[in-house]
Amino acid sequence: MLGLVPFVLVILAFQFAPLLSMLTGSIRQEDGSGFTLDYYVSIIQSAYYMKAVKNSILISICSSVVGIAIGLVSAYSITRFAPAVRDRLLMLSNMTSNFAGVPLAFAYIILLGNNGVFTLLFKQWGWSVFGDFNLYSWTGLVLVYVYFQVPLALLLLYPSFYGIRDQWQEAASLLGASPWQFWRTVGLPILTPAIFGTLGILFANAMGAYATAYALVGGNYNLLAIRIGSLVSGDVVNQPQLGSALAVILALTTLLAVILNHQMTKRAAWFSSRHTLKQASRRKSLYRRFTEAKGEAG
Amino acid sequence: MTAQAKAGWMHRNLMLLLMMYLLLPLLATGLYAFAKDWQDSLLPDRWTFEWFGGMFRDIRFLDALWTSFYLCLISVTLSLVIMLPAVFVITIYLPRWESFMKGVVVLPYAVPGVVAAVGLIRTYSSGPIDIAGTAYLLIGAYFIAILPYMYQGIRNSLLTVSAVELLSAAELLGAHRMRAFVTVILPNIWPGVIVSTLLSFSVLFGEFVLTNMLVGGHIQTIQIYLVQRMNESGHLASAIAISYFVFILLLSMVLMKLGKRMNGGVRG
Amino acid sequence: MNDYLELQAIRKNFGNTRVLDNVDLQIREGELVTLLGPSGCGKSTLLRCIAGLADPDSGRILLEKKDLTQLPPRSREVGMVFQSYALFPNLTVRENMEYGLKMRRASKDVMRRRSEELLALVDLEDKRDAYPQQLSGGQQQRVALARSLAVQPKLLLLDEPLSALDAKIRKNLRTEIREIQKRFKMTTIFVTHDQEEALTVSDRICIMNKGVIVQDGIPEALYNSPRTEFVARFMGSYNVLTRSEAMRLFDRLDCMEESFAIRPESITLLNEAEEGNDRKDRVQVEGTVQSVSVLGNIIRYIVQAKDVRLTVDILNDGRSLRLGELSNVCLALDPSQLLKLEKEGA
Repeated sequence: MLGLVPFVLVILAFQFAPLLSMLTGSIRQEDGSGFTLDYYVSIIQSAYYMKAVKNSILISICSSVVGIAIGLVSAYSITRFAPAVRDRLLMLSNMTSNFAGVPLAFAYIILLGNNGVFTLLFKQWGWSVFGDFNLYSWTGLVLVYVYFQVPLALLLLYPSFYGIRDQWQEAASLLGASPWQFWRTVGLPILTPAIFGTLGILFANAMGAYATAYALVGGNYNLLAIRIGSLVSGDVVNQPQLGSALAVILALTTLLAVILNHQMTKRAAWFSSRHTLKQASRRKSLYRRFTEAKGEAG
Repeated sequence: MTAQAKAGWMHRNLMLLLMMYLLLPLLATGLYAFAKDWQDSLLPDRWTFEWFGGMFRDIRFLDALWTSFYLCLISVTLSLVIMLPAVFVITIYLPRWESFMKGVVVLPYAVPGVVAAVGLIRTYSSGPIDIAGTAYLLIGAYFIAILPYMYQGIRNSLLTVSAVELLSAAELLGAHRMRAFVTVILPNIWPGVIVSTLLSFSVLFGEFVLTNMLVGGHIQTIQIYLVQRMNESGHLASAIAISYFVFILLLSMVLMKLGKRMNGGVRG
Repeated sequence: MNDYLELQAIRKNFGNTRVLDNVDLQIREGELVTLLGPSGCGKSTLLRCIAGLADPDSGRILLEKKDLTQLPPRSREVGMVFQSYALFPNLTVRENMEYGLKMRRASKDVMRRRSEELLALVDLEDKRDAYPQQLSGGQQQRVALARSLAVQPKLLLLDEPLSALDAKIRKNLRTEIREIQKRFKMTTIFVTHDQEEALTVSDRICIMNKGVIVQDGIPEALYNSPRTEFVARFMGSYNVLTRSEAMRLFDRLDCMEESFAIRPESITLLNEAEEGNDRKDRVQVEGTVQSVSVLGNIIRYIVQAKDVRLTVDILNDGRSLRLGELSNVCLALDPSQLLKLEKEGA
């Protein structure tokens, strides 16, 4: 039992105390007395902060939906390969999921920045379609966000395809279903919880993403995470109450997304619990968790 | 779903496209790091090693590398020392707490780094414990950041070797609890614990948001240094980025090897 | 009294569910007693209480008159074999066997000698330096058995030791366990949910249900005269009859019990010649064959007679007549074979 003491202390000090302090900070008056919702009200009334919230949510939804679409198709495709090839492919995409945050932003600057290789090439070749592409804009951010969402979506989704038994497909075809009908009536409904669950993780991942946006656009683009970051510079919080309130808003959205994932995971487990060996599913969930957090890595 | 021996051309092309998409940024960074100059051509005209040379002559880079290294090492070691007994006690003696623990452990996933940083700064920039901007605060934050990996890793290792039964067997054969832990539990969970330790290490090595917000002005880790350098010399920055990536790659390869060996060993 | 192990009024609750309800049990030295029952009946919990891996809420455990109840597992001198073997995967077969002696600070020589003896005993001399995961399930369980014998425990506990093994290996290993147990006169408690296993290995069987020992006795006694409906159903394919069913078949009953049992092999199928002039003490009943299945040395008929479904086992000796489904038969029932069952829990 003594072994628990340092653990509990550290968790309290660095996990619960900060969250609590942030929460109370956001609803307490500046002089430290009395309850107030002023900061939340002022955020809602401020076009600037509301724009940040809107931008963040839009960019997260966009990049998650695009990411999941690519991830879904790729995950299906990957199950069609022989195991040896499949493992190689998964390893490669897992590898690229390490390439996130600052280095990723930098790579895109090399490719598509103002003096990027492709930017200059396109200009030289006269491809005007790409002429007005701007990496430091909304489209640019979505492009980079999608890049780190795809491997994550792929790694989270592909195990679910193994939950769909060949025998179900065979049974369906013997009962007269076409492949398309099978996917529409059985395959996709079974995948649905996994898809929504993954969507939750991707959304939370994009909402919380800071490093990529910071390295790419600095403080120039209005995102919630960036706004919070700029209210907190170095070791002082410029407007501590406002920063806390914004942080609480951000945490609420990601928390909701993670809860969605949790519910969906339970639902997904219900489909597969009966024929998956305990051992195997345990290992899979471990793997899931590991890849889950590898999201934006910093 | 069993995979067919050979995938159709459609799937092959699809995967080719995906891999190209995923590897392109990496490739570009790699080429840029070796290019003397690279403008308006598909491939660089002239190659050079001077950026890598410059990187290793750069005292600030070496400093940052060293800082990253020891900060990660301290955090991971601390985590190991604290988590090992704690997870052991919870898994073996307090299984009822496990669902609560799951919630605690999932929190760092659900709370983004920016948010955690705001809370940490608020708590520790004034009041009795003023450690804002110091490595202590950062190490604390790092501990929480790797909590999920360490907890899951240790817990799964304990479950895989069915620690409860091994412990019972050892105790019935006359071993004291501590002795049993050291002789039969520790050696068996070690490979799994090493894997999660290395994983945690690689996660921390790539950490940016906590570092930047908590100690950005005072302590330079490799990631912070990279951001600073990005705006000065692109080539040098890409040399750093690519070296970082190769390092992480090597680490994850070791990880995979270890993971495979452990699974093989335990399953037999 | 030469009670070697004595359990007195053991009680154990998990939350609000009573797992063990005032269990008393005495075991003689050298005896092999089986705790038999369905999963969740408390048999494994009882075993764990004896080993000290679980604490009873109340009651006492005495081994050679010494109270073990408060002792930690390591001081009880009790050996245990687990269903999942629980071999230490980081140690070789030999090191596993020597582990207990090492904890008792035995000398290297003693350890070597003892492990060689045991390797020979379980016939694994060529595997002494192998690791557990390189052995088959049966071999692993033999190592586990040897490991627990190495320290010469006063009592050996076997917790479903055969359940994880294939049917064939299971049969071989259970004979092997029984031989070793007899050779060392090792007082043993064997836990299983398999009645056939219990019947073959035990000196005595205790049938448990819902935390209570409902009946105990030598295997033959349990098989031939179950006292309650639960035991009758659990011990074999007894036909369990309600009072009204029994009335219909036997016409009259000279007792007040509510439930009865009759063994499938005690019912005879009569051929035409025997019909009508069978022994006077037997009751004849007309019935229809519902299904026939050949179970190797016996043929099992399900017969519907007077609205009662009866299982009838006939020796498959090649001479007995084979009846098809839906054919009419005449059954001979011996009233003296009808067992009266006590009320559940009485």
